[in-house]
Amino acid sequence: MHIEWWQILLLTLYSGFAIYDGNNTTFGAVKPTMAGFFAGLILGDVQTGLIVGGTLNLLVLGVGNFGGSSMPDYMTGALLGTAFAVMSGKGAEFGATLAVPIGLLMIQLDVLARFCNTFIQHRAETLVSEQHLKRATYMNLMGIIPTSLSRMLPVFLALVFGSQFVQGVVDSLPMWLMNGLKTAGGILPALGIAILLRYLPVQKNMAFLLVGFFLAAFLKVPVIGAAMIGLAMALVAFNFDSPRAQVATGENSVNGDDMEDE
Amino acid sequence: MNNEQIKLSPEMKKVFWRWYFFGQAGWNYEKMQGLGYYYSIYPLIDNLYGASDEGARVAVSELQFFNTNNSMAPIILGVDGAIQESQGESSKDAVASLKTGMMGPLAGIGDTLFAVIPNTIIGSIASYMALKGNPFALILWIAFGFLRLAVMRSFFFMGYKEGVKLINSLGDRLKKITSAANVLGMTVIGALIPSVITAGFVYQFKNGGVKISIQSLADQIMPGLAPALVVLFTYWLLGRKHMNSTRVTLILILVGILAYNLKVFA
Repeated sequence: MHIEWWQILLLTLYSGFAIYDGNNTTFGAVKPTMAGFFAGLILGDVQTGLIVGGTLNLLVLGVGNFGGSSMPDYMTGALLGTAFAVMSGKGAEFGATLAVPIGLLMIQLDVLARFCNTFIQHRAETLVSEQHLKRATYMNLMGIIPTSLSRMLPVFLALVFGSQFVQGVVDSLPMWLMNGLKTAGGILPALGIAILLRYLPVQKNMAFLLVGFFLAAFLKVPVIGAAMIGLAMALVAFNFDSPRAQVATGENSVNGDDMEDE
Repeated sequence: MNNEQIKLSPEMKKVFWRWYFFGQAGWNYEKMQGLGYYYSIYPLIDNLYGASDEGARVAVSELQFFNTNNSMAPIILGVDGAIQESQGESSKDAVASLKTGMMGPLAGIGDTLFAVIPNTIIGSIASYMALKGNPFALILWIAFGFLRLAVMRSFFFMGYKEGVKLINSLGDRLKKITSAANVLGMTVIGALIPSVITAGFVYQFKNGGVKISIQSLADQIMPGLAPALVVLFTYWLLGRKHMNSTRVTLILILVGILAYNLKVFA
């Protein structure tokens, strides 16, 4: 499929807005699922966009850019992965696997943008030392430019020049690799899950992990159903934890106390 | 906590919205959120000190290194505003050390509460539904955006009203919410493992005319065995020295390619 100029424009603008939103207002534009959905909508194949975005989103469940660490940018990955999947006609799995290296490469550009903002910070410090207090505040807004460009430029260039290039790569890939990548796409979500398990207090909450697994694996309960059971258990845990409940349960709560302060 | 009783000055209202919309716009490696913090608190500096030497000294101090969870920062901005409005420039050093003292603990709680937990719960549900071709769960992100805004606003009021003493009592309450939310998160993750990881054994025994597939044997032991093993392996990998998520990603891609071609699973 040929990509139109307005599709390139909208996808480019989205990438710039998404990174702003992710850093500030946080309405989910930077989440791969949302980006994949948007790209699918623009390119006329929502299903592919959702599958590419959903697959990538599972990879970053446990990853957050805390304290300024850069994480794989699967928002850009989802946009381009969906676009290339639709353009090449090779399907969502192909798009998702292609998006992973894109997301990993984008880490470098994220670092570059944050580094560029260091100069802007210096400029603000100079302005303040010269008593231009108000002009110094504009520097903060200037920071949007490197951050947004770090996403918009690669998306734009990839879409303008990438379609033929990507098609060429696709045509030259052997079957064993294509199918192998498909299998890889199937197991990659394990990474997001494993990172979360490393981050959350697994030992304390092992029981709930087992309950969730049991519900889905044995009883075939959908994830949303399991979330409802989880919510119910969370409410019980919360009420049990409150000071009133401790008074009410009297002696029994003494033994349970060591569970709470972690 | 009754927020209606507090009257915010017009400057303080601006402080909040500036943070909300542009708090991390100028994020950089040197001072992190320092530039955004200065941008946000500027209306107050301008109102209290104008373009005086005092103002410049406060500005230099507010432009220093700052880094916390950006949803929690309004608490600190509120405390800062309340102190400066009552104490003026003499509070400059106290404000600077309060900011530094609060940003660490608030970052820890905030990252869990506003990043890890919504990422886990909303992210899981949205991904799962998206893989089934349903975009509906994306609304949850938008709803969370509004919820976060409301919480940030009430944090700002709380910081302004309660000042310093707030942090201790708030910490306890948030800890309880965090641990309850962890229960929900873990349950969802448990359910996610067999739902979203696609791995099934393809190997078949052939003995004379009898074919036995490993997958049907595995299903009798435990459905979702292959996904569970993949997660265990990945979890173990992540715990190894010199491992990071990028390397594990590459290893998993390699494992996928090998597993398909050696016909272990697909």
